[in-house]
Amino acid sequence: MPSGRLGARALGLVAAAALVASACATNNANGGTGGSPGTCTPQESPVITLAAYSNVYDVYGKLISNFQTEWKDGHDGQQVIFQTSFGGSTTQAQNVVNGFPADIVGLSLAPDVQMIQDAGLISHDWTQVTEGGIVATSVVVFDVRPGNPKHIENWDDLTQPGLEILTPDPAQSGGARWNIVAAYGASMRGNVPGYAANDSAAAEKLLEGIFKNVTVMDKSANDSIKNFESGNGDVAITYEYAVLAAQKAGLPDEAVIPPSTVSIQTPVAVVDEYAQEHCVVDIANAFVEYLHTKDAKDLFSSVGYERSVTLKQAKAGDGGTYPAVEDLFTTDDLGGWDQLQSDTVFGPDGAFTKAQQTVTG
Amino acid sequence: MARWGLRGTALLYLGLLIVLPTVVVVARGFGNGLTAFRDALTTPGAREAIILTVALAAVTAIINVVFGTELAYVLVRYRFPGRRLLSTIVDIPFAIPTLVTGVMLRALYGPISPVGAFLDRHGIQVIFAQAGILLALLFVTLPLVVRTVQPVLLELDETEEEAARVLGASRWMTFRRVVFPKLRPGIVAGGLLAFARALGEFGAVVIVSGNIIGKTLTAPVLITQLINGGKPEEAAAVATLLFGLSFVLVLVTERLLNTGRKETS
Repeated sequence: MPSGRLGARALGLVAAAALVASACATNNANGGTGGSPGTCTPQESPVITLAAYSNVYDVYGKLISNFQTEWKDGHDGQQVIFQTSFGGSTTQAQNVVNGFPADIVGLSLAPDVQMIQDAGLISHDWTQVTEGGIVATSVVVFDVRPGNPKHIENWDDLTQPGLEILTPDPAQSGGARWNIVAAYGASMRGNVPGYAANDSAAAEKLLEGIFKNVTVMDKSANDSIKNFESGNGDVAITYEYAVLAAQKAGLPDEAVIPPSTVSIQTPVAVVDEYAQEHCVVDIANAFVEYLHTKDAKDLFSSVGYERSVTLKQAKAGDGGTYPAVEDLFTTDDLGGWDQLQSDTVFGPDGAFTKAQQTVTG
Repeated sequence: MARWGLRGTALLYLGLLIVLPTVVVVARGFGNGLTAFRDALTTPGAREAIILTVALAAVTAIINVVFGTELAYVLVRYRFPGRRLLSTIVDIPFAIPTLVTGVMLRALYGPISPVGAFLDRHGIQVIFAQAGILLALLFVTLPLVVRTVQPVLLELDETEEEAARVLGASRWMTFRRVVFPKLRPGIVAGGLLAFARALGEFGAVVIVSGNIIGKTLTAPVLITQLINGGKPEEAAAVATLLFGLSFVLVLVTERLLNTGRKETS
């Protein structure tokens, strides 16, 4: 029989453990819950929680500190505190859907924001705000070895036998889906030699040819380009800014912009449900607005998101570091993300789904 | 000759498998000199992440040393129906991939689960808070303590305890005066193993933490983010620091286990 004292000890320790746990929890709750919606009084130092995809980690640090200064100057020295979390775009969206109380989300593609909206957490039409809710853009390019030894100029060059291609896994990476949509769109728009326009079977064949050559499917766009930089593969399908960042770091990466490619548009949205709960709707909106200012755009540019949010300007480039793109299209030109996701490309009978089935046999 | 062959193979295996990767990461961490190493640790959130990780690992070790030792004692010294089942349950955390642990905890305590919503209404946030990380670490490290203490306990001569009891000592007194001193090295070793393991835990943590910089972002998760963010040097620096802490602990554990064995034999 265990003595009563041992039992009492154990009980005491359970209590202590619970205390520690709840102390941690209250510590966390302090920043968050601040009154019910409607009748809320903002805190003296309001806390904004931002969940964003990993690539924008550096730039958001600067954006936030600039915004904090601006807000302080305009609001009697009020200090806004930011809590930030970075991770894969889809992972972040999933976390928010599962109760991660983010007031603002910055994700790598619209369907991830849509996921949060579908869960009832975003109640406004986030595409009807400044610049359609898009804060930064880039384009899908080919990252090739110095001098482009495999002569990769267009999407059909990726199907040459024996070529080794790196692209991330579309099941895990938002970037991967941009790459696939770029190839699909180029084919559908009739800009890939040998592949008929508006022919989904031809687009499927192109994707099949490309994915036959994919040797490594990394979990994120960043892993993919790191892998390429460490010497694997002949070409990485990736974002323009990733190649420019590599060049800035002194690496010999070369970007080839295919004649026809997609404009990568990364959205930011206020998550009303949580922002209201935390009584920070005004500040959250102000921050999103700030992301559309020239100051913010310059910061985005400095890390490689050079292309303008306006498609026409993005297409024209600046004639220097960011050359013009012959045919730059958006997902809207292909019927919108909804259709691409659930039907034409990633749906059960979508071009990519079928191409992948054929490749994996 | 044969002996050297055996020894050589063993050393080569150990060298290639463990020593080489270790040397590479440490070299990388210090690759750009000591100043760069220090700078790397000033990455936003790095200091907080390391402090949080060490603090949570310590709390984890303390709690599990208490409950782990108690469990081990119960498993060895008591005979009751369901003992075998209990013993099997203790091993569950070993058998479950840690990512699954995270998913399980999130499903149970997540803000949109019934339990999580209930706790939330009472101002207690578990998932996406430090409490959730602690829970995940406790789950993952419990068997380490139990399975380190248990063999020491099994080696103990039960007659000594009986003698103490016959002489009128209470069960608690017997535990404290007779069992505990012999158990101490095992307990400390178990605690340190749990601590070292908690320092490095990634899978279970990343699912439940929400990774808020300076608040719930732990060092292992930060390392992954730094690698993904194209900052391998910073990642290696944080990794080296974490590895250094773990390594010292493992050394201490080795010592304790050895002295423990000498004492009991």
